[in-house]
Amino acid sequence: MLLFRGNDWLKSLSSEEKQKVTDQWMAWFRRLTEEGKAVAGNPLEREVKIVSGKNRLVSDGPFAESKEAIGGYFLLDVASFDDAVAVAQECPGLPYGVKVEVRPVAAECPVASELKREAQFAHA
Amino acid sequence: MNTQNQNGYMLLYRSGEWYNKLPHAELQQLIKQNEAWFERLTAQGKARPGRALERKGAIVSGVNGRIVTDGPFAESKEAIGGYLVLDVETIEEAIAIAQSSPGLAYGGSIEVRPLAEECPLDARARELAREEQLATV
Repeated sequence: MLLFRGNDWLKSLSSEEKQKVTDQWMAWFRRLTEEGKAVAGNPLEREVKIVSGKNRLVSDGPFAESKEAIGGYFLLDVASFDDAVAVAQECPGLPYGVKVEVRPVAAECPVASELKREAQFAHA
Repeated sequence: MNTQNQNGYMLLYRSGEWYNKLPHAELQQLIKQNEAWFERLTAQGKARPGRALERKGAIVSGVNGRIVTDGPFAESKEAIGGYLVLDVETIEEAIAIAQSSPGLAYGGSIEVRPLAEECPLDARARELAREEQLATV
């Protein structure tokens, strides 16, 4: 999974530059989809709500416009982690300060894997 | 605030590895609760298959993506541990679903985000074009 971080970089771009990056980004996603490398992807709206704690409190997200905010994601279907990093390196937003977080998708919930590890340990 | 959204919502799970500290029985109970929770949402047509993310990965940045660094995903409380896409139409319902997540009591937080119809770059470019048009009238 690729997570695109940073959504404050747009402000410094001219209208033409914005259009150019948008076109590049769309063409990039289209190509990856055609090559079967991207299976899903979506931009996210700026609106952020955070739910947390035992009391399940709801608050407004602090990162509507920050360098760490997630602006969108691609779900990739590639053979290796290196392939995913190589795709991330093609991101048209990189020259403007966008960071791409590359994360392997887990086969199962990590809580379930932890349980299996414990069970193995108990039997050993 | 526009609470209607036809594109659905994304839940991003943010937490450290809190589950490493849970006793076995509690862990097992939580897994059952989680499964039941997700099965109910799926049966109601409200959730698409979600995925957990491994606690490892990399950050690519810089012009042409020259800088590749390992991210600190295991320890950080802000690290994203998984995601879920919800097919519901209001942020209130998406928040209510996030609030019913069984793991929330153990720490961490869930970020609720509306999925965008189009790239925000597109929307901004259109806005600017409209402003320019108005300026010439």
